[in-house]
Formats: sequence, structure tokens, C-alpha cells
Amino acid sequence: MDRLRERQGQVITAAVITLLVLVLLATGEKESLVIGVITGSAYGFLALGLVLIYKSSGVFNFAQGEFGTVAVYTLYLLHFDVPYGFALLGALGVAVLMGVVVERLVVRPLFDAPRVTLLVATAGVALLSIAVQIWFGEATARPVGRALPTLDRFTVLGVQISDQRLLLLGALAILAGLLAWFFNKTNLGLAILGSSQEPTATELMGISVKRLSTIVWALAALLGGLAGVLAVPETGGFAPGVLTVAFLIPAFTAAVLGGMTSLPGAFLGGVIVGVVEAVATSAPIFEDIPGSPGTLLVFVVLLIVLVARPQGLLGKAG
Amino acid sequence: MALVEVEDLRVSYENPVLLGVSFEVEEGETAVLFGLNGAGKTTTVQTIAGLLKPDAGKIRLGGTDIAGRPPSKLVPMGVALVPEGRRVFPALSVANNLRLGAWVRRANGSEVDERRELVFEYFPRLSERVDQAAGTLSGGEQQMLAIGRALMSKPKLLLIDEASLGLSPALAKTVFQVVKRINDDGVTVIIVEQNVGVLPYADRVLIMEKGTLIFSGVGDEIQDANLRESYLGKAEE
Ligand SMILES: Nc1ncnc2c1ncn2[C@@H]1O[C@H](COP(=O)(O)OP(=O)(O)O)[C@@H](O)[C@H]1O
Ligand SMILES: [Mg+2]
Repeated sequence: MDRLRERQGQVITAAVITLLVLVLLATGEKESLVIGVITGSAYGFLALGLVLIYKSSGVFNFAQGEFGTVAVYTLYLLHFDVPYGFALLGALGVAVLMGVVVERLVVRPLFDAPRVTLLVATAGVALLSIAVQIWFGEATARPVGRALPTLDRFTVLGVQISDQRLLLLGALAILAGLLAWFFNKTNLGLAILGSSQEPTATELMGISVKRLSTIVWALAALLGGLAGVLAVPETGGFAPGVLTVAFLIPAFTAAVLGGMTSLPGAFLGGVIVGVVEAVATSAPIFEDIPGSPGTLLVFVVLLIVLVARPQGLLGKAG
Repeated sequence: MALVEVEDLRVSYENPVLLGVSFEVEEGETAVLFGLNGAGKTTTVQTIAGLLKPDAGKIRLGGTDIAGRPPSKLVPMGVALVPEGRRVFPALSVANNLRLGAWVRRANGSEVDERRELVFEYFPRLSERVDQAAGTLSGGEQQMLAIGRALMSKPKLLLIDEASLGLSPALAKTVFQVVKRINDDGVTVIIVEQNVGVLPYADRVLIMEKGTLIFSGVGDEIQDANLRESYLGKAEE
């Protein structure tokens, strides 16, 4: 019975993706597909972080986007002085550090506090982070460079792709593979999954769940950082709190698509949300909608999922 | 020699629950801990396993006081608990449940493989379901997996909390028989039970009531039909 329900989720997911791809190819929205997959992967990484923290600490982490914004800021500051690759590593390193500091200074002292207290505390971290950015950097938008400044274009399956985007798509595929490997094949990855399902049993295996909590926040921050450095250079510029403002709701939608429990579901959800948003932004039939139809459609998706399938596409009921 | 010595153990949640419990279990024994719901059996074994910190008292393992040490220290020393309600990792496969059970032995791959083979010998049914998600196993299979997972850490002392709960009498007997084999292979066992079907496998019987130990006996004392009448009549369902 359980397995049947799991299958049902997989069938729905496959159907949604096939439908999206068919519509895109039929309407000539191939470009949206590429942009959507890239932005959507960033949503997916952020959503993975949200789900990991939700399962480990029991809260929605309002500061999840800020791990990404801080990484983008670091990338921006570093890329004047050091090669882009080092700037990227530095950016991710700072994001991870922020994750560890937040866990040590905010999450751990509130270990036994009601979860709503911790929830408010994560919102506090996000607000503090944005305030610091405005304080030091003023509230202006800044440009941030791409990994490959040249714009050579290739045609892949009839879609025009710049080498920057090709690089991104390759990096995304590798990252997704690495994550799948980490959670399925390594002791640490399995321990994190285990502690999200049965914390007491995890403790009984001789695993320190408190120590795992630090690792989970570091990993979530790394994922947030990745989301930032992958997606923001694509858009050309950023302002304080960029990932909180522009990415957190789509990422939340992605996490809900995954039922707030399934990691592959959250990542796939991110890609779906990204593609839907990109299509709504560029497709002619949405031209008459005032404001930003992309954002609107993301909310519509969120509402539909919450009403029709609250357990998510790949999540289990109950 | 006593492998486990519990001395004047006191544990509380909001209120005191263990009011000074003392007992010993010899190396190589199977001890059965009886008592009604709420007597404090789970609290006792969870404290021995390091999940709860005692207010006072001593727990000695092979002479070393281990009271208050966390499971991350105790599992490597050879203490493993099969918790009440099994607590398998439902979304992980049988193989990965066992792999996490071997966490403290993870540096030694060949030892982990040996342990897994041993677990499959005790519970052949698990070997037929290695790739199945633990949450989709039957109750009996989950209990086997929970015991097998605890064995992966190579314990000297195996604590089992309510192994037979929710199992058919036949399945409960199968589980008791495997526990007997595990004990014969050198593991000291303390098993919490409300099912007197476990009595034939017991070397020692401990009985708790309202946070205190009211009986501890071995050999003839626990064959006595009076034992059933005076202490266990109430426990029989
Ligand atoms: N987490 C807890 N918080 C507060 N009281 C508890 C908790 N767990 C158990 N108790 C109380 O401690 C007493 C002993 O419980 P327990 O050790 O589970 O008994 P048993 O396993 O013998 O049924 C009971 O009165 C129970 O209500
Ligand atoms: Mg109990």
C-alpha cells in the first residue's frame, strides 16, 4: 500500500515533467527550459537545505536564503582580487562558516526551546544578515561577474546555449550526482537521513545527534551558497537579501512539492518551479498579466500543491 | 563475575521514576526484566544504554562506572539497546539500517561484513529483503531488523525492550529462540518482557514494581510455580 503510494508520486512527477517539456518544445520555449533548469536547480539546492534543516531541527529556516546572499557578497568582494575559481571556493567557505556559527550560537542554545522560538530566531538571523549587508554595502544593486565572461554560443538540440550556461548545466549535473551519492552511499549521509527519521535510534547507534546537527547546518549553508553563486551571476546583479527576497518562496514551493521530507522531491520540485516561472515570464500567452507573471504562477503552483497534494509529489502521506 | 552492576539507581523525569534500583547480571546470562506498565523497565534500560542521565547511583560495566555516559561512548564499549517500538529507520533499506548499526565499527569494513553475515545467519528472512525499505517490513521483520541492527555494533551487553510486543505467539517464540542463540554465542542479554513465554530462556528473573526492584532470582527460584502466582499473575495478559 505504501509502495503503491510512492509509485503514484513518481507517476505524477514523471507526468508533470513530461507535460512541461512537451509544452515547452511545442511552443518554442526551448530557451526558457534552459534558464528554468538553471534557476530551478538553485531553488532545488535551497529547498534541499530547507528540508534537511526542517527534518533535523524541526523548523522552517528563514535564514536559508541568506547563506546564499552572503556567498554572493563574498564572491563579489573576492572576484576583484583572486581568480574566479578561488573566489567561488571562498564564497562557499564563508557560507559554510555562517551555517556553523548559526548552529552554534542560535540553534544549539535553543535545542530544548519550543520550535516556534527557533523559527523566530532564524527569521532574526535573516533580518540581521540583510541589515549588515545594507549597513556595509548600502542598498544598491551590484553587478557580479560570471565564471566565463565570453559569450560563445553553441546549439544543443536546437537550443542556443552560451558556454557559461553549458558550464552551469554540467556543474549542476555533477552536483546532483554528488548529493545522491552522499546520501545513498556514505556513512555520514546515511546518518543524516537516519537522524531525520529516528533521532533516538540514531543516538543508539553511537552517533552523536548534536554533532550531526552542526554538520546538517553546514551542509544546508553550503547548498544555499551554491544556489547563490550558481544563479545570481546569471541574472547579472544583486542587492542586499537577494536570495531571501527572490529565491526563498520558490524554494519553499519546491520543498513543499517534495512534501518537506523527500530530498530528491525537493530538488525536482525546484527544477519544476524554475521552469514554470521561466515560461510564465517569457511565454506570449502570459503577456497580458500585469506585474510579474512568473512569481504569480509560482504562488499558484504552491496553492495547488498545498490543497491537492499536501504530502508532496514524492512525499508520503501522514 | 558480574558484567552489569546497578546500584541504588535513581532517575526522574518531572517526578522521580526509579527510586533506588539495585541488581546484578552475570556475564553470559539472559536476564528477564518483568513488571507492569509504568513500573520503570524502559527507564532502567534506557539509563543503562545512556539515553537518560541518572540523578544518583552507579552502573558498572565490567567494573567501570558508566553512569551518565552517552551512547556515543557506550556503544563502542559494547552496550546496545533495541528500543521499545523497534525504531527502525523506515525510509532506509534493510542493508542501510544494518550499516548504520555498524557506525562505531565503520572503520573496519571486513568486520562489518562479518557482522552482517552473522545477522543474516540469525535472521535469514532479513537477507531476502536487503533492498526493501524498513518501513514496509512486517512487525516481526522490523523486530528482527532492530535486533540485527543492534548486533552490528558487536555488543557485549544487549538490552532488548519489549521484543514480543505486537507479535503472534509463534513469532514471539522465534524471536526468543534467536535471542537464546545470541546469548549462547557469548552476548549477555537483558530483555524487558511482559510475556511469560520468555521464562524458559531466562537465567535470571528481575521484577520491578513502581520504580523499585521487588524480586531477583536465579535457578530454582525462577522455576517455582509460586513465582508466577505471586509476582507474574498480574503481568500475564
Ligand atoms: N518521557 C517521559 N516523561 C515523563 N514521564 C515519563 C516519561 N517516560 C516515562 N515516564 C513515566 O515513568 C514511569 C515509568 O515508565 P517506563 O519506564 O516507561 O515504564 P515501563 O517501561 O515499565 O512501562 C511511568 O510512570 C511513566 O509515566
Ligand atoms: Mg516500557
